[in-house]
Amino acid sequence: MVFHSQKNVFWQAFILAAFVFALGILFGFVMENSRSASIEKLYFQSELDLLDIRIQNDIYSIENIKIDCLGAVQENIKFADRIYEEAKLLDKYEQANKITGNIILQHKKYDLLRTLFWINSIKIKNRCNASYHNLVYFYDYNEPSIEIRAKQAVFSRILSELKEEFGSEVMLIPIAGDNDIISVELLMNSYEIAESELPVILIDEKTKVQKIESKEEIIGLIKK
Amino acid sequence: MKILPIVYLAYMFVSLYLFFFFIILYAKNRKELFSCPNAKKQYSVSVITPAYNEEDSIEGTIRAVLSSSYPVKEMIVVNDFSKDRTREIVEKLAGIYPKLRLINNEKNLGKAASLNKGIEAAKGELIAVVDSDSYPEKDAVGKMVGFFDDEKTGAVTSSILVKHQNIFIEKLQAMEYVIIAWTRKLLEYIDGVWATPGPLSIYRASVLKEIKGFDTANLTEDIEITWRIISIGYRARMCLPARVYSIAPKSSRIWLKQRIRWDIGGLQCISKYKKLFLTKGMLGLFILPFFTISMFLGLLGLSIFAYLSVRNLLQTFLFTKYSLVAGTHLLALNELYITPTILNFFGVIFFGLGLFFTIFALNVMKEGRFKGFRNIFNLLFYILIYLTAYPSIMAYSLLKIAKYKIQGRKIGWGTK
Repeated sequence: MVFHSQKNVFWQAFILAAFVFALGILFGFVMENSRSASIEKLYFQSELDLLDIRIQNDIYSIENIKIDCLGAVQENIKFADRIYEEAKLLDKYEQANKITGNIILQHKKYDLLRTLFWINSIKIKNRCNASYHNLVYFYDYNEPSIEIRAKQAVFSRILSELKEEFGSEVMLIPIAGDNDIISVELLMNSYEIAESELPVILIDEKTKVQKIESKEEIIGLIKK
Repeated sequence: MKILPIVYLAYMFVSLYLFFFFIILYAKNRKELFSCPNAKKQYSVSVITPAYNEEDSIEGTIRAVLSSSYPVKEMIVVNDFSKDRTREIVEKLAGIYPKLRLINNEKNLGKAASLNKGIEAAKGELIAVVDSDSYPEKDAVGKMVGFFDDEKTGAVTSSILVKHQNIFIEKLQAMEYVIIAWTRKLLEYIDGVWATPGPLSIYRASVLKEIKGFDTANLTEDIEITWRIISIGYRARMCLPARVYSIAPKSSRIWLKQRIRWDIGGLQCISKYKKLFLTKGMLGLFILPFFTISMFLGLLGLSIFAYLSVRNLLQTFLFTKYSLVAGTHLLALNELYITPTILNFFGVIFFGLGLFFTIFALNVMKEGRFKGFRNIFNLLFYILIYLTAYPSIMAYSLLKIAKYKIQGRKIGWGTK
């Protein structure tokens, strides 16, 4: 029995492993891109709806056209609920996004959309004297520390419980405060919210909540 | 892409590579895995058995060796200053078996030094080492000697299997030993046999004398001597059908000590041969990098696991603390739904491949006792032990080395 060393196995195994690994990565790309595509589709629909709401408002701003406040408020609430649900889905997909960076870009687009919606919400509220409350949640998106991460998890929990409790009385608008979006930065500056203070809940453009407070205290601040 | 997913994917690639590496080696050589060359000549074989406090097993070992179907020239038991009845038992058996010789150390010298005393006294062309708690099958030595017809063969080792498989820890080791034997045989095809373990390995006497025997400073003298034999241009071979049954540790304390010794010995070997790293020859190009990378990856994986665990623990603590202040629920039902990531899919696939590899190896080795549904759980547990416990033992071993270095103490076997 003559012994022959089979060192060609080293590269044969490498080629096979590289091929299977590449297939796995490709599958990962396909999976993440399909999630990204479904978010894109939702975003597109939301963008259209918001555009519609804004055009309606512009029409009402023409002096001789009477505003249908009930309709406008209802539309706004419906839209708020929708983007809130989409935000939750986006968050889930984002956490599961490991290879591609598409969703991060979509997050920015959604932040812009939510900012636009917030501005619209303020306008409708002022014009129609609506009773709903704007709860804008500015959070730290890029690499938050463990403490901030825990704090944000509790803030998210409080807000989602409030949303469940108050339903359409509350417009819950989560916006990343550190995503380099100039319009968001402008708004944050105008409400004196620094990036280092994140996360912050801004209630009805008046009250800032920075520290962890009990849910009841936040409810008290909303009803103030 | 963040750093942790990159590290995770790198692990996946290495695992996938090793999986294919062994599968290809098996596919190419499956027909001759269990074949062994017939010896062209009759070799004279001396068997050396070092013994320290082995009154429970030494008689069985002697009887197993001396009932070998391949005639051994002599069996030398080196009694390493045992405190029990080892000496008395061997003396009694020497009266029955004329080929049995006893050397008594006047003080406890350790296994390697005892082996070296046996080598000095041995007269055979080939020297077999059989641990005093191991029982070779009758035809084991006969199956191994044919490899020495190739002048480049310096050492031949055998399949080490666990003798008693009554309790869980023994069953666990039995599975591990089977996998080790199978993969060791596959590594032979690339000149990658990196150890000739003590339960049964045969060495060319002239080679042992050329390299002046075993290294008494190393805790895994069987690994070290293999590397030394390879480093001077000889081959280490593996005879899969030659079987020896060894008594595996029964308590987790002894098992842990054994593993720590293996790890420390492995690190001593890496340190001793570091100059050969990536130099010509399979020791420098494969065995050393394979050994080092395995240890490094194990430790890195453990460190990442520890980091993530501590981070999550801290985050959970803070979350709980803040939740109590806020008066919110600690757990929401919708949070139990997790969106799977591609890394989760990879993880499941690799765990499956690991399981497949283990079952496949047991099947190839015809270890029928592991068949059945119940054993799937044993196998799963065994894989988890490999993935978690072994790197932890390695980390502990490193700490132990550092502690002993600082204290200026010598690291001993510590199993008896």
